[in-house]
Amino acid sequence: MANVSVAAEWQLLGDRYYRKPELYHPMQWRHIDLSRNKVACAPFGGPVALIRDDSKIVQLYSESALRKLRLFNSAGVSLSDVVWKNTGGRLIGLSWSDDHTLVCIVQDGTVYRYNVHAELIEPNLSILGHYFDENVVECVFWGNGVVCVTDTCKVFAVPDFKTRTVVRLADPPPPPPGELELELELPHCVAVIEPQYTLSGNVEVLLAIRDGVVMVEEDEVQALPVPPGDGPLQKMVVSGNGRFVAAFTHDGRLAVYSTRFEKMFEYQCESALPPEQLAWCGLDSVLLYWDDMLLMVGPSDEPVRYLYDEPIVLVPECDGVRILTNTSMEFLQLVPNSTVSIFKIGSTSPAALLYDALDHFDRRSAKADENLRLIRSSLPEAVEACVDAAGHEFDVSRQRTLLRAASYGQAFCSNFQRDRIQEMCKTLRVLNAVRNPEIGIPLSIQQYKLLTPSVLIGRLINAHRHLLALRISEYLGMNQEVVIMHWACSKITASLAIPDAALLEILLDKLRLCKGISYAAVSAHADKNGRRKLAAMLIEHEPRSSKQVPLLLSIGEEDTALMKATESGDTDLVYLVLFHIWQKKQPLEFFGMIQARMLARDLFITYARCYKHEFLKDFFLSNGQLQEVAFLLWKESWAKGKNPMASRGSPLHGPRIKLIEKAHSLFSETKEHTFESKAAEEHAKLIRMQHELEVTTKQAIFVDSSISDTIRTCIVLGNHRAAMKVKTEFKVSEKRWYWLKVFALATIRDWDALEKFSKEKRPPIGYRPFVEACIEADEKGEALKYIPKLADPRERAEFSGLMITHVKLIIAFIFLCLLAFLCSDWNGQGSC
Amino acid sequence: MAQIPNLDNAPLNLTSLREQSQKELLNILKNIRGKKCLVIDPKLGSSLSSIIQTSLLKLNLMKFICSNVHDDVSKGLQREYFVYFVPRRTVVCEKILEEENVYNLMTIGEYPLYIVPLDEDVLSFELDLAYKESQVDGDTSSLWHIAKAIHKLEFSFGVIPNVRAKGKASVRVADILNRMQAEEPVNSPDMVVPEINTLILLDREVDMVTPMLSQLTYEGLIDECLHVNNGSVELDASIMGLQQEGKKIKVPLNSSDKLFKEIRDLNFEVVVQILRQKATSMKQDYTEVTTTTQSVSELKDFVKKLNSLPEMTRHINLAQHLSTFTSKPAFLGQLDMEHTIVEAQSYDICFEYIEELIHKQEPLVNVLRLLILFSITSSGLPKKQFDYLRRELLHSYGFEHMATLNNLEKAGLLRKQESKSNWLTIKRALQLVVEDTDTANPNDIAYVFSGYAPLSIRLVQHAVRSGWRPIEEILKLLPGPHSETKRGRFSSSLSFDTLQASANIDKVADGRRSLVLVVFIGGITFAEISALRFLSAQEGMAYDLIVGTTKIVSGHSLAETFVERLG
Repeated sequence: MANVSVAAEWQLLGDRYYRKPELYHPMQWRHIDLSRNKVACAPFGGPVALIRDDSKIVQLYSESALRKLRLFNSAGVSLSDVVWKNTGGRLIGLSWSDDHTLVCIVQDGTVYRYNVHAELIEPNLSILGHYFDENVVECVFWGNGVVCVTDTCKVFAVPDFKTRTVVRLADPPPPPPGELELELELPHCVAVIEPQYTLSGNVEVLLAIRDGVVMVEEDEVQALPVPPGDGPLQKMVVSGNGRFVAAFTHDGRLAVYSTRFEKMFEYQCESALPPEQLAWCGLDSVLLYWDDMLLMVGPSDEPVRYLYDEPIVLVPECDGVRILTNTSMEFLQLVPNSTVSIFKIGSTSPAALLYDALDHFDRRSAKADENLRLIRSSLPEAVEACVDAAGHEFDVSRQRTLLRAASYGQAFCSNFQRDRIQEMCKTLRVLNAVRNPEIGIPLSIQQYKLLTPSVLIGRLINAHRHLLALRISEYLGMNQEVVIMHWACSKITASLAIPDAALLEILLDKLRLCKGISYAAVSAHADKNGRRKLAAMLIEHEPRSSKQVPLLLSIGEEDTALMKATESGDTDLVYLVLFHIWQKKQPLEFFGMIQARMLARDLFITYARCYKHEFLKDFFLSNGQLQEVAFLLWKESWAKGKNPMASRGSPLHGPRIKLIEKAHSLFSETKEHTFESKAAEEHAKLIRMQHELEVTTKQAIFVDSSISDTIRTCIVLGNHRAAMKVKTEFKVSEKRWYWLKVFALATIRDWDALEKFSKEKRPPIGYRPFVEACIEADEKGEALKYIPKLADPRERAEFSGLMITHVKLIIAFIFLCLLAFLCSDWNGQGSC
Repeated sequence: MAQIPNLDNAPLNLTSLREQSQKELLNILKNIRGKKCLVIDPKLGSSLSSIIQTSLLKLNLMKFICSNVHDDVSKGLQREYFVYFVPRRTVVCEKILEEENVYNLMTIGEYPLYIVPLDEDVLSFELDLAYKESQVDGDTSSLWHIAKAIHKLEFSFGVIPNVRAKGKASVRVADILNRMQAEEPVNSPDMVVPEINTLILLDREVDMVTPMLSQLTYEGLIDECLHVNNGSVELDASIMGLQQEGKKIKVPLNSSDKLFKEIRDLNFEVVVQILRQKATSMKQDYTEVTTTTQSVSELKDFVKKLNSLPEMTRHINLAQHLSTFTSKPAFLGQLDMEHTIVEAQSYDICFEYIEELIHKQEPLVNVLRLLILFSITSSGLPKKQFDYLRRELLHSYGFEHMATLNNLEKAGLLRKQESKSNWLTIKRALQLVVEDTDTANPNDIAYVFSGYAPLSIRLVQHAVRSGWRPIEEILKLLPGPHSETKRGRFSSSLSFDTLQASANIDKVADGRRSLVLVVFIGGITFAEISALRFLSAQEGMAYDLIVGTTKIVSGHSLAETFVERLG
């Protein structure tokens, strides 16, 4: 039966089954011998990097003596290669970082980084810095970081290749004084606990030195108590969750410790020789690899042995280990529970029966129904197990059978979540698509969930698999912007030969697929690639002016930028352009550019009015707006008036008056500003006069008051001649003169003078000013003198009634007074 | 009583708007660690009191900040500086900070407060200088902010399908709003009817007559005499009948005060009568309670009525204080003159009146109000008189007011006559002057100015009732272009004249009427808000009206923005 053959491939370790399905066989590469090479495989089914191992003596066949760094996908399809010409000595270690950058560390501590296209990513990083006489002897990588140990046993770490900072960790303790002859004492082996699993959030390095282990941190060294008899440890590796350490002791035992080195378990191996490779398989077992044997040790006694007649590389994954050989890629994993329940020999679990029922159903056997009846009550869990098992399957036809079994069972149970099967189909389609040897990313479903679809898409586009990435993101209902954007940028980089217009068409064709995509970003990329014209054409399509304008500036399209900014109505953008041009251009050119653009010009003037007076004057002069310059000068004259330091010297020829006179002459340049011109002239005259008055009266109360005020002040001071002089000098009308004098006299309550004034001649505006002034001063008796003289009988009546006109409101007023009184009365009682 | 207006009865969910603003502010404060010294732009401070509420940080303020920081630095004080821009950081402000070498010393952030709900039906963008800036300086920043604020509203309440705009700035705002929708679309689900049906944008420039007139509604009059600031007035405690000499108290004025809500929009004459009636009836009840024996339930009713006593006392005190202003002959004279100018029949009388005001050196802003009114209704003054009055102004108030005159001329508020005035045509066509207005039982919005119907609100009235097409000829006589657009998914379907018919369909399912948002660019007066409320309350009105404005203004505050001393 089919079931038997499935389970026959499993191995039992303790009470758990393991299986080792082949992911790729044969590998697509030819003539690769892993043992001749240094190999780096990225987890999550990532790419494989190979380079001839320069620490081994190998025979060269018909090949160049120059070494080549070769990159493959997990199925052995070549991605790219490059000749290794880097200086710095022997290659010590290479590994893939989380974002699929290949990090290579050479002897002198230089770090070379490559992308999956084997292009060197500048700049290089030097770990050892000024310790140039030291060499790196060992390095251990994790996620995005590395720890290096030098030949003098100094420890350096790069916590994150993105930030590129190097940290020197604390030095491990020196050898005890008695053993000084062992001058160079290097650790037997090194392991790291990733920052995400440590308390401090910094990396912790475990060094096996002498009989013990020390833990080194940034500024702390701590000796860990290794159980006596175990040390020196020959090889160490930390588990995927950072909580356990597997180590191979000097006497051939495999021991598993907690990270504080409390022993959990040990196993006596047959060989005391340390294994070439030591790796965790998930969290349940440890793999040891010697020359031709792979030993899998679990918590129970009896290990599993696999024999290999070719070299292998172990690639730890979160849920197992991938085994790379010269000719194949396998995946060693714990058989999932759902799979066990279905395929275990003699299994009578509901899932197994359901699977069997499908088989009968396909063969049109009535036994199908019988099986179903047996498991009726537990049908949902049987369906669930089939769906789950299908997910863990690498073989497409078996996936299909399991899913068919699930859907067959689902037909008989009403309360099963229907979209569960659909979801699984979707996920499997994606997984199968990326497992295709051409793509070569053999993800298990668990890895896929841990990696997340968006990271997977990121990796696909990074490997320039844009079409597949687009299809997947479309299929999963994700935003396609990332993919299209990356495609567009890559396209621009790769299409140096295509003329701008043609390339634009190609790009637009795809960019249109995605609403709201940032044309500005693509355009910026084009500009960075030296295609300014293309950038300008692209930016035209960006709908968001806030993105468009800054970019236009950066590609030197100031005029367009100014236009777009103005159109957008966002003054902030206009200012942005304005300052940019201002800084970049000669003043005259700048003036020319903004002159024709109203909004830009007005904003410039507003700003300059506050902060750049002189520059603003230049601007107005450059376009002949002399009156504006005049206004500015006039304004400055006031600032001078307020500043006592500026008014030193003779006030009559002081800088203030000069400024006003200058303004006057500028105003008179144009016909339209005769009014302003006259006003400035009068103003200058007024200030002179006021200065004189201040000198004669010895009172500093005149300057900066108006003409009317000056007259009033003169009259109040009793200086009628001066008042008269001001009046004639500035041709003050009789009307105004009467109002001013009447009110001034009333202010000093000189009622006789007022009466005399009223009799001088018939006042040009009648006697109303006299009445009003008296009433305002609350001299009703005086007012009565003039009321009969009023010409208008209505006015006469009005003033006789002493201002009471709006009867309605007055009544309301009296009433309200009463009411307020009433209310306060109530309030009083209320509080009693 | 609550200082913050209660928004529960608002036709839109404004509470959520306010809560969001509160949360954002708290987040800002939380994000800064340690002890804080909060320095708030005084304009902003009063605004914050009603959101806890905005204004654009202005250029001069930057100078102020810089000088403070420099001061600290020279004293060797080490402080952390956080500058938060309301509603957003601007290139120009940052440039100044950079030039003053303090940019690196401070952390810059923004507090995106674009809209402040002042009351159930009034939203303010708190751009108090918007009118002057765009009219005089050509700085149209405020227009972008208005569009942004409306766009923000659209994110909460759906794309507004109908937009009508009159005036240069309004048309521009409508244009920017469309751009924003294109750049950053509001995704409204297709089947949901947007809560706001129509947006009417009006430039203050279109109607500068109305704000220059003295408002005669209760709330308007309070603003004219006492200057309402963010929903409250500050008064001497003695006016409110408290025994604390010289102390100022703040009296909140919003719709949480039930009595105020009832009388705020009425003509002041009517308010006096209503207060009298209420007081009399209470007095009657009081005498009944004290003289006759009454059942417990009757007593209970009386006590209930007593609860409204503090509100009554407050408004009686206020009304009494107002009448001291309104009974002055100067006030009455001014009212008379305003009506004469609006009638536009007796040019010489008006001219002489204004001339006399100048000669008497009455407060400048009062003179400017009448002068603006005069200039607009007669579309400018003949050159000789224009120059004469300007000269008299400079002589009376000082040459430094040259800048003020210049501003007014740039804004077109005080200018030389170039063509014949068409004010009479407009006045007649829109029936702006209504004879025999019954202020107690008004049947027309003219009651708010005792016989003059605000031009701006007439335009809204027409827009809501029958669209602008019938009055297109008149619209052309007013300054600025006008536009009507359909947006969103409605853009292709209905034409504008079917708005009325479609209003029934648009009715939101739960029986609420659909909304019209009326936005005044450059400010709205309380009297105009009252007129809009009056319209909204009319029978047969298909919409609720809510008001958006750059700021609540009065003729005084509006004229004041133009006053600038050269010094």
